[in-house]
Parts: sequence; C-alpha cells; structure tokens
Amino acid sequence: MNLSLKYRVLMIVVFAIFIGVFLYYYGTKARQEQAVAEELREYSYIAREYALDAIYKSTEFPVEVELYPSAHTEAILERWKAISDRYPELDYPEAAIEARDWIEVHKSFEDTDLLNGVIRKMYKDATVTSEGLGVSYITLLDYIFYQKYEASNIEDVVIDLGIEPSREEE
Amino acid sequence: MKKRITVIIVTVITLLTIVSYLIFQMLTDDQDIEEVIKQEFRSLGQYVENVYSIEYLDDDRVLIFYSWSYPEYSNLGVLELEKTWRGWQFVEAISNRIEIENAWLKGVYAEITDHVILRGTVTAAVEEIVLITDDGREYCPSVGKAERNMWYLILEDEPFEEATFILFDRNGEVIREEVLQFDLNS
Repeated sequence: MNLSLKYRVLMIVVFAIFIGVFLYYYGTKARQEQAVAEELREYSYIAREYALDAIYKSTEFPVEVELYPSAHTEAILERWKAISDRYPELDYPEAAIEARDWIEVHKSFEDTDLLNGVIRKMYKDATVTSEGLGVSYITLLDYIFYQKYEASNIEDVVIDLGIEPSREEE
Repeated sequence: MKKRITVIIVTVITLLTIVSYLIFQMLTDDQDIEEVIKQEFRSLGQYVENVYSIEYLDDDRVLIFYSWSYPEYSNLGVLELEKTWRGWQFVEAISNRIEIENAWLKGVYAEITDHVILRGTVTAAVEEIVLITDDGREYCPSVGKAERNMWYLILEDEPFEEATFILFDRNGEVIREEVLQFDLNS
C-alpha cells in the first residue's frame, strides 16, 4: 500500500486521539470508582458507629445511601449531650443531628487534642485518678459510642459527675 | 468485488457478536454467587460479615440475609441481586441495627424493592418458629444459622404490626412465646 504522507499523518492523529480518549475515560472511571468505594466505606463506618439503619439504593456513581437513627442512636446522642452540656468545648452539633447529616455530625470528633482535654478535665473534676490506666480520647469515645467501661475507671467518673446514675439507683 | 467485501464484513461482525454473546453467557453462568456476594460486601464496606441464607426468589433474583460488623454482628443486612446480561448486579441493600443482648427474640420490618421482609435474631436453642399475627394468620419463618441465629420471613400478604412468636427447640418442644411489634414506617 502506498499511502500519501497526508493520509499517514491523519491516521496517526486519529489513532492518537482514540488512545487519548480511551485513557482519559478509564482514568476518570478509575478515580470515580475509588471515590465511590471511599464514600461507601464512610457510610458503613458511620452506620456502624452511630447504630444507624441504612438503605443502600445505589453502590455505583452517584452513590445513594439513606441513614436513619435507631433506638441505640438515641442512647449514644444522650451520652454525648450530657458530656457536652457540662463541657461545651465538646461540640454537640444539634443542627446537623436534626438534619440527619451524620457525616457532618461525626466531624465533632476529629480533633483528638480537644477530646483528650475533655477527658482530662472530667477526671480532674471527678477527683478520680487515671494513673496507670492509659486513659485517652479513646476512653471517651468508647463511653459515648459503646458505653464501654472496661480498661478504665470512666464509670466512676461519669457517676461522680452525675452524668450516669449511681449503681445503687439502678 | 464490492458485494463480496460487504458480505465478508457482515459475516465477520455477525460471528463476532454471536461469539461474544456466548462468551458473556458462559462467564455469567459460571459466576459463583458466593464470590459475587463477597464482592458486594467489599464494595458496601461492610466487613466481617456472616451469611445466614441465600434465598432465590426466581432464577434471576436473589435475597441474601446476613449480619455484619465485628464483634457483635448486630447489624442485620439483606441484599438483593439481579441477574442481568452483565452477570449478578446489585439492586438494593438494607441494614438494620438490632440490640441482641439478653433477648430471646428481636425483629424488624423492612421493605426491599417490592418485597416486605421481617427478620431478626433469635436465641441459639431455637430450631423452629411459628408466628401468629394479630389478625390470626399463621406463618413459619425460616431460621438461618451462622454466628447467631437469624429468623426471616418474606411476606407476600398484607404486613402486620404485631405477632405472637412460638419458639420450638429441636425436640419440637415449645420453649417460649414472645410478642413482637413491628414499626411499619421504619
């Protein structure tokens, strides 16, 4: 075959455009898939932590997930609010909670230094020692989310501060 | 000459279409449903899950009853898949949080696509359940066993708000009766 130079150049250009579009399409698609996977992971994490019911309508782009509070969610929010009432530096985002924007709600727990400050203050105010117990912001999160008392003496602290009723009253 | 070329091109395209259709069919027929389910759990980001039952509604539709989240498995899930020309595809999934501690029986109402589903956890000794609704209908929910015991019922009639559950052990003895209420708006 004896194609003129013009045709050869044209063929190469068309081929290059084709490859370019192909690469662009797959690059965008791969990025989109990654973003979708991350979004779904975040929804599942939030659903688990806040004990939410979840309806997954679409797991492809655009992701569509509806989250609804369960009875257990209310208990988590109550513990959170009780601490926030006494230690306002721990934000209780009422507007976001009412709007059921759970991803926004969870941003209140991003600053671990602030959480460490709150738990230190709680121990100080309750005059309970945390020595040797490795108390940190995780102790606070364990209490708020799971009402977990083990591996620390946070139960004494919340009872002493009047956040939880004392054991005899139960 | 031109006619011949047209015939060749049309034949090649037809053959390619048929062959690719057959390959697709083979691939989707060979698809292991358990692998597909695992892949769906991964994409949902729901780790450490337990499958209790795979219920085929017909050849092309399946409901998977499962629980997820370590260590309590307290999120009950139901996942619907549909078989299309691309193989098994996600349709919808619902996850309900259930408190399982110190309870004989728990249950929750859910609607997935056009099905009404009742499901919940039941204590390990239970092998069979009979439920009687407040308007006198009787059903036998299935009991699936994995990390825990899960009962489920795919309801084809009218939903109900309250039912008495009679729990039987493996000798067919009644071990307990419980009344459950369902929130149909959830």
